[in-house]
Amino acid sequence: MEMVSTVQNTDVKQSLQKVNERLLEKNPAESLLFDVVLIATDSQQQSSRIISSTSHYGLEVGRFCFSSREDLVETLVVNNVQLFLSTDRDEALQVSQKGVLSALLGRQEAPSESLRVMLCGDAIVRPDCDPVPASRGAAQSFSARLGEMRGRFGVSGSPLSIVLVTSSGGSKSCGVALQTLRSRGLSVDEAYCLAGAPRGPILSLLRPHFLLGDGVIDLED
Amino acid sequence: MREEQLRTETEPREELRSNEAERGAYSSAEHHRVTGRRARKVEGGVFFPKPENAVTVAVSSRVLFRTELEQRVFEQKGVEEYLRYQIEHENEPFAPGPAFPFVKALETVNARLRELYPQSEELFDIVLVTYNHAHVGIRLINTINHHNLFIERFCMTGGSSPIGYLKAWQTNLYLSADADKVREALAEGIAAATMFMTEKLTEVSESQLRVAFDGDAVLFSDESERIFKAHGLDKFFQHEQDNEDTLLDHGPLKGFLEALGKLQKKFYAKGQRLDCPIRTYLVTARSAASSGIRALKTLRAWGLEIDEALFLAGAPKGPMLEKIRPHIYFDDQMFHVEGAAEMGTVAAHVPYGVAQKHNQPQKPGARK
Repeated sequence: MEMVSTVQNTDVKQSLQKVNERLLEKNPAESLLFDVVLIATDSQQQSSRIISSTSHYGLEVGRFCFSSREDLVETLVVNNVQLFLSTDRDEALQVSQKGVLSALLGRQEAPSESLRVMLCGDAIVRPDCDPVPASRGAAQSFSARLGEMRGRFGVSGSPLSIVLVTSSGGSKSCGVALQTLRSRGLSVDEAYCLAGAPRGPILSLLRPHFLLGDGVIDLED
Repeated sequence: MREEQLRTETEPREELRSNEAERGAYSSAEHHRVTGRRARKVEGGVFFPKPENAVTVAVSSRVLFRTELEQRVFEQKGVEEYLRYQIEHENEPFAPGPAFPFVKALETVNARLRELYPQSEELFDIVLVTYNHAHVGIRLINTINHHNLFIERFCMTGGSSPIGYLKAWQTNLYLSADADKVREALAEGIAAATMFMTEKLTEVSESQLRVAFDGDAVLFSDESERIFKAHGLDKFFQHEQDNEDTLLDHGPLKGFLEALGKLQKKFYAKGQRLDCPIRTYLVTARSAASSGIRALKTLRAWGLEIDEALFLAGAPKGPMLEKIRPHIYFDDQMFHVEGAAEMGTVAAHVPYGVAQKHNQPQKPGARK
């Protein structure tokens, strides 16, 4: 699974790596792994700095790509990227509007044991209200792959945690989201139904590494 | 918002009914009730109060519903089997637990408040806070729907501590079956109490919420209890007399009584004092003639009205509670909690203060 980041978010990469390690422990021939590509849209000058700091942190970044801002989407498509991670809201939105699934990186340092992926249930329940319909298909297939990966591990001690949050709508719609995700093969570990309550305080407790679905939302509400 | 309408669709109830008969855990009147699903629509939007305006009551799944069977599966066979069991039985709603009548009564108060103040967010907001795994989520939501409970907010933390979420929800009261979690909440300044399942349950009012509180170490601090435990009854009386005009310090549930009082005043403002759907009681071992005076003066100084004060002068609390029939009674001493339960009152233990060093539950399995 290709995941691409424009940012040196070492925490997320370490967590992704941890998941790969655990998957390979279970099955050395495992093919469903995270493949991380670091993409730099700044000038070429940055490139050597990025490469050296990546090896400094011991991060196994599979590939480096240097692209310009204008060519970003094409680069992603050409490289068969399933998920694009960014801290830049506009960049992520732009990319998702062209059909490539993107997610915002969690801003706070999240020193957690596992990779915490947060899904926003509102778009799952009411797809007609999805602000970014173009990437909906990509979202569905990604969540199915994620579910497969999650299924390799047991309930406790998993290096990957799936967290569902529904912001508007009551408990019934959260139930629908849970069932929909399950039918796509994705089992959720934690579920929070906010029913209109402010998201900020809950998000700062949840500390996701990144957020999927719901178009692109502000992580600090 | 089409959501509220979804609830009134006919759902496959047949399966639920036959399971109910098997479990025989609650009256058949439950599923014949046809309540108008609360369509809380305000100008087209669904209306959920902001946490800071509402009186937030967080309940765990183990006190809202009966989950003893599932608990046993968890304890005997581990978490994977427990979750498998829950998913298998997803369409079987849980039976009501000890906090259920209390939650229903909160909803009754909400209905009355909405009649009088349709735009107000000063309501009870009931949040399900459980450290259950989200795999149990669908069964819990099915159960909520089955019992026509209006619980729209929840946290299923999948094993991590719910305490942070309690604070984020600005929780006014937390009810759980787990004494450790309750102690954690109290340490964070959140009113909390442990609830236990009882076999005997006396009927409680369906139109009036009744909440009863012990005095020392619940509404008030445990300072007087300390004197009593260290120096005996005479010293206690002397101390109370000497300090009659000194206010007692506040206890962990003072804030909740305050929140109830605020809602009561909303009814009074509309001329509904006699018909108020909230009634509060102080049930204390203090005596009316002596040590009780300090308690009343303290309440008055805090601006808190309590509807009835029952001074037992050390007499057992069970019979008195059986007369007033509260939906919930808060006490810091397990001895009283058990005594109340024996007579069918739902009592909740507040693990606070000096009495905890002397607290030993008399019955095995009482703590859970």
